Amino acid sequence: MTTAQPEALSPRSRPETTAQARGRLLRTLAPLWTLLALGGFFAIVSDSFLNPINLNNILVQVSTLAILGTGMTFVLLTGEIDLSIAALVTWIGVLSAHFFANLGVGEPWVTLSALVVSTFMGLISGIATTRLRIPSFMATLAMSLIASGLAIWISQGRIVFELSPWVQYLGSGRIGGQNGIRVMTVLAALCLLIAFLVLRYTRFGRYVYMTGANKSAARLAGVNTDNIVIACLAISGFTAGLAGLVLTGRLASAQPQVINSLLIDTIGAVVLGGTSLAGGRGGVLQTIMGLLIYGTLRNGLDNIGRDFDPPFLGLTSVEPINQFAKDFITGVVLLFALVVNVLLAGRSSRDKTG
Amino acid sequence: MNTSPILQLKQISKRFGGLQALQNVDFDLYEGETHALVGENGAGKSTLMRILSGVYPEFEGEFLFDNRPTQLHSPSDALSRGIGMIHQELSVLPQLSVAENVFLGRQPLTPFRTIDWGRMNRVADEELAKLGFEIDVRRPLETYSLGIHQVVEVLRVILSGARVLIMDEPTSALSPAEVERLVELINRLRSQNRSIIYISHFLEEVMRVADRITVLRDGRKVAMLRKDETSMNQLIAHILGHEVNASLPTAAVRKNTNVMLNVQGLTADAFQNIDFDVGVGEVVGLYGPVGAGHFDVARALYGMYRYDQGTITLEGKPFPRTFSARDAIRRGIAYATESRRKSLFLDQANYRNITLPHLARIGGFAPSERKELAVAEPAMKRVHVQPHEPTSEVGKLSGGNQQKVAIARWLTYPPKVLIVSEPTRGMDVGAKNEVLSILRTFRNEGYAVLIVSSEPETVLAVCDRILVMSRGKIVRELENSEDLNKDALMRLI
Repeated sequence: MTTAQPEALSPRSRPETTAQARGRLLRTLAPLWTLLALGGFFAIVSDSFLNPINLNNILVQVSTLAILGTGMTFVLLTGEIDLSIAALVTWIGVLSAHFFANLGVGEPWVTLSALVVSTFMGLISGIATTRLRIPSFMATLAMSLIASGLAIWISQGRIVFELSPWVQYLGSGRIGGQNGIRVMTVLAALCLLIAFLVLRYTRFGRYVYMTGANKSAARLAGVNTDNIVIACLAISGFTAGLAGLVLTGRLASAQPQVINSLLIDTIGAVVLGGTSLAGGRGGVLQTIMGLLIYGTLRNGLDNIGRDFDPPFLGLTSVEPINQFAKDFITGVVLLFALVVNVLLAGRSSRDKTG
Repeated sequence: MNTSPILQLKQISKRFGGLQALQNVDFDLYEGETHALVGENGAGKSTLMRILSGVYPEFEGEFLFDNRPTQLHSPSDALSRGIGMIHQELSVLPQLSVAENVFLGRQPLTPFRTIDWGRMNRVADEELAKLGFEIDVRRPLETYSLGIHQVVEVLRVILSGARVLIMDEPTSALSPAEVERLVELINRLRSQNRSIIYISHFLEEVMRVADRITVLRDGRKVAMLRKDETSMNQLIAHILGHEVNASLPTAAVRKNTNVMLNVQGLTADAFQNIDFDVGVGEVVGLYGPVGAGHFDVARALYGMYRYDQGTITLEGKPFPRTFSARDAIRRGIAYATESRRKSLFLDQANYRNITLPHLARIGGFAPSERKELAVAEPAMKRVHVQPHEPTSEVGKLSGGNQQKVAIARWLTYPPKVLIVSEPTRGMDVGAKNEVLSILRTFRNEGYAVLIVSSEPETVLAVCDRILVMSRGKIVRELENSEDLNKDALMRLI
């Protein structure tokens, strides 16, 4: 056999044509333009938007989404989906409070057991998806019902205010004194960083991408695609549990009611960044971009609500109108951004064949 | 037979880019006639068939249907005019009942716009009886054999108003008993005055069912024979373009002394009792027409097709009852499929396609791009992937070069057995020769190589020994030699 000669590496591949390069740049940078456009718009119409305190607010607001989005990125990259995260968040919050307040379990056991349970539930979804061939859409939907059902059942519908010190610290603690950075923001950044390193540099990360890009080819190359899918859903379960603890701490209470918008917001943010629902394309950098767009949009709309009422709606006398229109506007912007993404993706794939 | 044909093609030509697929081909079909279309792979049969069924609306030449110039816009347009196509891959829905499949898309309705089940079942039952089949039309189609699926599809097309039926390789997946039934069905259809265009590799069947036979070679019509006035040898001579030299070599098949892979009694739905072995440094060909089951045998050896019986032994060590592709790779079997789309990541870099099966060995937990390139580059160079761009996407390469990448994958850590399905499909002559010469070098390096193909040229060019498969069984084992040629192989299937 010939021996490998690392020093004899040939130059990198032929440079793309400028048209191809421009198309690719347009596609990969589309989320950045969206972010800049949104940021610019809100900076103009709202005086308080660019305030450092407000910008910090955005980071705090997206922290929970970032933790959830990390797991969702793994799942979407394999071409699957996880619809159970919002319910897991609620269930894990209730579970940790129940352990601490009603059963008298101490730390670190409350936190550890909560994370183990959520990871295990993700694992079950993964096994149902692969070994039992239930589409992840259905398997995680069922898991969602199980988790929300457990939350209501265990809590008996009651809100628990007595939280373990760890959970309180995760949700409202700060590092570096009164004005220091929030623990949850650090945690979110850590999740994203670890996910970035894993997806970009490890063998497992490569398997995740290849499983999503072409499942049959991955299997032919000896990749155990079932295990990859199971692992990704388990990761998503873990991050949902972590987000559950963080959110419970932030709200200073464990509420048995599922916050459904968490699921839509997470998938919306991840896909907005450019990670494909079909699998194989995207990554953590895209997710970060999507999170920032989403955070800017939600926060910006809050700010407009505070000091700007669009006169063309003729509702200037009704102060909180924007609060009620927030979801509607977010939905429209999400749809618009997705359309732009799809159009640009289609454009670049035509470039390839043409 | 009537005096004027129901369908007439005059001087048909069709060109794809630089390839002249059909050139000045004439073809006609009378009422109540079965007209067979034969020729080698690439002779133009498929192109002609697609023109006849409306898939290619654009071509040069005249298309007369019922003596009127006709322009077909699509397959559904063709069907509405009375030309129906029975594809090799049937378009039935096995979960639905027989009757539902017969009336798929045009179920009889009651005055309330709901499905008239009574009428649907009754008519399906009557029509099947007319064709000589007494089956329960209420049962799901999947409870019946493939032969019945085909009958149902034929009936559906007939009830849609087809007077002309085009049948593409109708027998390739049928058992011998089912072939007999199909021949009967065709005779019955003929007595109902329906016209059939019959496309098949199986010349024996063609000689049985056809009234006339048109032979295509290299996109031209080379002969139009009446069944009564021709012989099998004449037919083959026309197909090949030279006199038949079909004597089988008499040399005894040599016994392997150094067996690498041994397969005993391998049986699944697609193949039965497959026995063979491949020796160290030997190239064995598994040859058969499309649908013979040889591709499924290859998949079974790689853990991608479940088999019911038999043993697979590598270097004396038997494989477990079920195993995954991962296990097969670990034990030393490498496999390049006939479908590059299914086996390659077309939108991923070349080097990633090559290193994927070996990532653990290359870099353990976190392989670096540098180490991966160090593996992929020499492999790509060895098979001359052109252009040599390891970080560019596989999808940007030509078909031949994509195939080289699929093979390059198995060069760095040589397997014990290399299985390649259709190594040269869809390639131009230059690329074909290049890939074949790469495969030849493997023999000298001690690989045991199994080439699975439906192209006789491919197996004849590289194999030491050829196993001929037909309808799921190995029908002959031949030592490759100067004397062995395409004619002989084609006679065997």
